[in-house]
Amino acid sequence: MVPVQWYLLLATAVFCIGLFGILTRRNALLFLMSVELMLNAANINLVAFSAYWGNVTGQTFSLFTMALAAAEVAVGIGIILVLYRNFNDVDVTLAKEMRW
Amino acid sequence: MAAFDYAPAIVLLPFLSFLVSLGGGKYLPKGGAFGGIAATAGSLLLSAWVFLTVAGGEVYNETLYTWAAGVGEGTTTLTFGLLLDPLAAMMLLIVSLVALLVHVFSLGYMNDEGETGLPRYYAGLGLFTASMLGFVVADNLLMAFMFFELVGLCSYLLIGFWFRQEGPPSAAKKAFLVTRFGDYFFLVGVVAVFATFGTAKFAGEGAFPVLAEEALNGASEVTTFGFAPETWFTIVGLLILGGVIGKSAQFPLHTWLPDAMEGPTPVSALIHAATMVAAGVYLVARMYGFYALSPTALGIIALVGGFTALAAATMGVVKREIKQVLAYSTISQYGYMMLGLGAGGYVAATFHLMTHAFFKALLFLGAGSVIIAMHHDEDMWNMGGLKERMPVTYYTFLAGSLALAGIFPFAGFWSKDEVLYETLIHGLGGSPLLLAGYAMGLVAVFFTGFYTFRMVFLTFHGEPRSEIARDPHGVRWNVKAPLVVLGILAATVGVVNMVPVEKLLGISGIDFLHQWLDGGLEALTAHHYGDVLPYSSAYVGGETTTVAIGAAVSLGLAVAGAGLAHVLYNVDDPTEHTAKLGAIKTLWYNNYYQDEYQVWLANSVVLPLARLADTFDQGVVDGVVNGVSSVSLFAGSRIRRIQTGVVTNYAALLTLGLVALLVVFGVMGGWFA
Amino acid sequence: MTTKPSLRIGSHLLPGLAAVALFVVMAAAVLRASFGDPQMFGPDAEITASIGYAMFNLDMGTVPGEGMLVAFIIIAVALDAALDGAILLAKREEDGSAVALLADGGRQVRDRFRGDAADTDRDAEDGGDR
Repeated sequence: MVPVQWYLLLATAVFCIGLFGILTRRNALLFLMSVELMLNAANINLVAFSAYWGNVTGQTFSLFTMALAAAEVAVGIGIILVLYRNFNDVDVTLAKEMRW
Repeated sequence: MAAFDYAPAIVLLPFLSFLVSLGGGKYLPKGGAFGGIAATAGSLLLSAWVFLTVAGGEVYNETLYTWAAGVGEGTTTLTFGLLLDPLAAMMLLIVSLVALLVHVFSLGYMNDEGETGLPRYYAGLGLFTASMLGFVVADNLLMAFMFFELVGLCSYLLIGFWFRQEGPPSAAKKAFLVTRFGDYFFLVGVVAVFATFGTAKFAGEGAFPVLAEEALNGASEVTTFGFAPETWFTIVGLLILGGVIGKSAQFPLHTWLPDAMEGPTPVSALIHAATMVAAGVYLVARMYGFYALSPTALGIIALVGGFTALAAATMGVVKREIKQVLAYSTISQYGYMMLGLGAGGYVAATFHLMTHAFFKALLFLGAGSVIIAMHHDEDMWNMGGLKERMPVTYYTFLAGSLALAGIFPFAGFWSKDEVLYETLIHGLGGSPLLLAGYAMGLVAVFFTGFYTFRMVFLTFHGEPRSEIARDPHGVRWNVKAPLVVLGILAATVGVVNMVPVEKLLGISGIDFLHQWLDGGLEALTAHHYGDVLPYSSAYVGGETTTVAIGAAVSLGLAVAGAGLAHVLYNVDDPTEHTAKLGAIKTLWYNNYYQDEYQVWLANSVVLPLARLADTFDQGVVDGVVNGVSSVSLFAGSRIRRIQTGVVTNYAALLTLGLVALLVVFGVMGGWFA
Repeated sequence: MTTKPSLRIGSHLLPGLAAVALFVVMAAAVLRASFGDPQMFGPDAEITASIGYAMFNLDMGTVPGEGMLVAFIIIAVALDAALDGAILLAKREEDGSAVALLADGGRQVRDRFRGDAADTDRDAEDGGDR
């Protein structure tokens, strides 16, 4: 098997790409996509170690995360809908009422 | 002893009348007068009982209440207690008697004249009586200081009784500020006593005069802050003297007393003649064991006293208003008492304190009677011929005046003569300073006789010089009865200490006051003071000769002064002879410009200093505080800009925080090593 | 003239440096970490087949798979709930106004509870200042 550090590195890279997206993206939908990327990075980690230690629990947990990611996206879309209704745009940088 | 158990009631009864007048005075028939009379009568009876008990040889020196207990070794405990020894018992009797008579007189002066605000007046009188009695029985210096301040407060309240006019509030403020100035030094002195001796008790084991005496004999050690013990005790004595000079209206803090005549005359009689101004002299007498150790302090006391006696007597010569003459007379007579104390005549000064209380209260109450009759016109040049119209007032006033001038056989003669005698023999015994004081006191005798009888003749003799004098307002029994009582006392109380008679006729045992003040606690007796005093006596050709010469000289000068006044003023239509003095009269009339000088001091010296302090307070102290707050405000206004409201910024901050945390953990946990 | 999509490079990318920094730190930590010996599944472990066998209570699987079954059921329930929630949120009335996902700060709900008796014209029509 490939040394497990490469899997970890891959997961780290995907996580940081997702984080980069959260930090720089202005469109709310692309924001959500970046969040999905971060979640999947965690999934990669879980499955990699499941194979390393020969324990099915890791894969089970990653199934859970996938399902919850989907549920979270459903709620997130709802929030974007309200955001659009209030600000007439899906730009996340427009919602800055709660500031100093 | 049962009397001592009830002794606190002497102080508490007038305090109770204060509370009653304050709370329910307006519901009482005479505005609280009867409560005050009952309370002071009760205090008088209890004081008499205490007096008789002390006469039987008992002394009481107990701590009644500890209000700040010192913790640990060598710490100071602050207490209230009573010290009832011969001096205190005598003073209690004097104060309560004069207070009672003044309360009765007030019925005539205030109630019958239809004054308003009487509950406030009787409340003030009650509080004053309680404070003065508390001062008299105080057993430690701090308690004495507290009551000292309280009587000052009551003086302020009572002088400013008619506060809706212009004069009284200003006079009250002046009285309070001038005495407060002296009391500041007194307070520093009290703290110094505590710091030096650890205790401020007047008498008993470990009392501070006893400790001071032992320190000077080398028998024990006290902290003297780097000074030699003698010097330090002098400094402490002089600090306490500051309060005495203020309260007893000695030069230079005498300026408040003539202005205090703005208050009602019974107040002047009680406070500014017989009791409050006596507080300073009483304090020195109480701590005499301490003052006797310091020749410098004694010398200064004597000099201040003698100078004040002379200066005030000169100022009293040219005054127009009857109460002003009496005010300067009070200052002058207290100068005699200070002279006596400074010269080592403890008994003489105390004797003069007693006689002066009676005859000065009598003179003030007599002046009050005249003022009632003259419809509150005090100018003596509008009076005249009141002798036939107000006989009781006249004869009692005459008795008081003879006592004041020091004419044989009235009370004032005996006491003033003994003060001067003690000063003379101790001065001849090697203190030229005392001889200077003696000379000043002697010259003042002449002036005293003169202004006293000028006052009598202008007021009562001759022809009436105004309509009101022709037909004066009548006075009732509540005015005449106290005058009669005090008149009898002024005439007869001299018998308690007729030292010249004893010495000249060789009868021993009639110096009752000497024997009285020789009893009580050992460290507080007259002969103990005599042992400690640094003076020795010398005579002009033997003791009896000196007594005779001294008495003759002072009596002669008094009679000369009275005689001059008789020649000038005892005519049907006197003229203002003092105008012939020209510039001197202006100087005396303006009180040597001391009032203007003090105002100038306040404006030129104190005000700039106060402004400086205020600038420092607002600039530096407030500036530091405001600076601290401005740091907080500025930091806040800058840091809050992190909250931009944009979610991605928050995410960026989160990430940065996470990175920092990981780096820290990694470095500390050796991940990157 | 053809236009092609171009990558937007600008100062708005600066916060991304934090993500880069995080990657560097985590990579450094991960690459230096040492793990134990791998204990993998056997050479012929079939995970999905084992799950199927476990579902039907057959005992022929090489990997213990009973734990996965609960996961599948719960996932099914959660996804079902999420789907229903999404549909509810997107629902609209006849006239086109929203039912569940309101953007008026709850005023419609409040008025419906008060029975439309309160003065609704006091409220501002829009959802705040923009």
